[in-house]
Amino acid sequence: MTRWGMVIDAARCVGCQACTVACKTENQSPLDAWYAPVIEWEEGEFPDATLNYLPVLCNHCEDAPCVTACPSGALTRRDDGIVMADEDVCIGSRACMTACPYGALHFFEDRGTVAVEGAPAEAVPSVPERYAHQRHVRGAVSKCTYCAHKIDFGLENGLEVGVHPLATPACVVTCPAECRIFGDLDDPDSNVSQYLAEHGGGEALRPDAKTLPSTQYVGLP
Amino acid sequence: MTAVSPMAGGGAGPQNVFMDQFNLEARTQRVWDINHAIWFTLMGVGGGVFLAGRILNLTEGLGYVLGIPTVDVVSFLAIAVGGAILVADLGRPLQAWRAFVNVRTSWISWGAWSDLIFLVMAGLLVLPALSLGGSEPFSGLGWDPHGGDGGGLALEIIAGVAAVVVMTYAGAVLARPRAIPYWNSPAVPLQFLLSSAAMSVAVVMLIEVIAGEPVTAGQMVLLGLLTAALTVAVVVHLLARTDAPGKKESLDRLLRGQYRSMFVWGVFASGTVAPAVLAFAGAVVGVSGARDALAVICCVLLVPGGFWLRLLTLRVGIFPPVHIPSVSGPRMAAP
Repeated sequence: MTRWGMVIDAARCVGCQACTVACKTENQSPLDAWYAPVIEWEEGEFPDATLNYLPVLCNHCEDAPCVTACPSGALTRRDDGIVMADEDVCIGSRACMTACPYGALHFFEDRGTVAVEGAPAEAVPSVPERYAHQRHVRGAVSKCTYCAHKIDFGLENGLEVGVHPLATPACVVTCPAECRIFGDLDDPDSNVSQYLAEHGGGEALRPDAKTLPSTQYVGLP
Repeated sequence: MTAVSPMAGGGAGPQNVFMDQFNLEARTQRVWDINHAIWFTLMGVGGGVFLAGRILNLTEGLGYVLGIPTVDVVSFLAIAVGGAILVADLGRPLQAWRAFVNVRTSWISWGAWSDLIFLVMAGLLVLPALSLGGSEPFSGLGWDPHGGDGGGLALEIIAGVAAVVVMTYAGAVLARPRAIPYWNSPAVPLQFLLSSAAMSVAVVMLIEVIAGEPVTAGQMVLLGLLTAALTVAVVVHLLARTDAPGKKESLDRLLRGQYRSMFVWGVFASGTVAPAVLAFAGAVVGVSGARDALAVICCVLLVPGGFWLRLLTLRVGIFPPVHIPSVSGPRMAAP
């Protein structure tokens, strides 16, 4: 069984926010909605001060509280572990936003903001619905999907997920420090599993929330 | 950690737009606020007034609207207005019917179904009593609208069970996820249930006074017990897990910060303790008029107190930081 997951080596992050912008570009997320930003904070006092970076995104939890809380069934967890938001089914109750410990869900308010209502599918004729993920619905909640459209495209076209740029989340592809690694957590030979093994396992954010996230961290400050 | 974090702390800078959603520091939820507090309150009163009217056997003799007991009409109106506010607050109100879908895990779905079942069953129950232009078009339906026969009793029980869920589910919605520690406690739905019950008994007693019927000592004892239990539930919740990240910040805001006055005086003093004292005093006072006056005062204190309880519960909902530096969680086993 495949369970897609991401390992983030926070010690490698240089805080360039390239992932943030790549995600925004790839998913055309609504204004104010940043699916994959990098948090920055200072620690200590001069002359022993440190600037820390923490890339964050949806944790695609095995026990996803957003899925549990959603009344409409708009939030679902695929068999491969990716938590998806169907904006057409969402009613905008925002229960998921209060249930998620990571603040990873975003409500698209109608505030005169600009979003891509529908990008032309004919732009890439060989890939129907290539841009469906860029359509966002006002009054609905959207979120990081691990770029599920790219993973599905890769699987359909025989590309190695987590390795080939067309079959790997945009934030992973663009990271110059290679601090994000994406692959199958259930495959002991995958890149993510190997990386976790080399580093003695990963850590979760908000472990008290007991959500069993598929996004794991090493090198946390 | 000695943190100096101008970017996370709200200072000017391009990163601020991220910090509102992905903040290393504790983050206050701003998703649900006054609209939710209003419909939480109205749902609580709506379900509770129906139950209180039936349990206290006060459906008859307190006036009628179109042949339907006043207490039931107040209940239906509260639920209908609360439901309308709920739907209007959705991002996509025209899709509201989808709220019924996920009954497997979502308390909102349970709430939607309980609202619907309550309105249908309680509506059916009183339908035979409906009077329009001097005629009772549904009088032949064959059950007693006051639950005096088998059919009426069955409808009354189903509506009553649904009413209990209506009074409680808003608290359960908040309490289930672990994201906000202040909410993640069985004390929250318990508070909502007890507050709804106390407000409802007080509202029924107010209707009683308006109808010219005397409030009984037994009713005042019931109100006193409910408000005393609510006080205990509030105190227990305040004293539990006080050092948990997120809850500590919630308590700071509630007891020492910007909501101190509103909580101490609006919720605790006048919304729980004072009505409890007044209700027990009303139970022992011998003069009926004085007891009626105390009942009215209790109602005037309890309903706003119940609203403030819900609003402040929402407003002190705080997410702890997604990561606390130097505090490591359990490591995920390497495959």
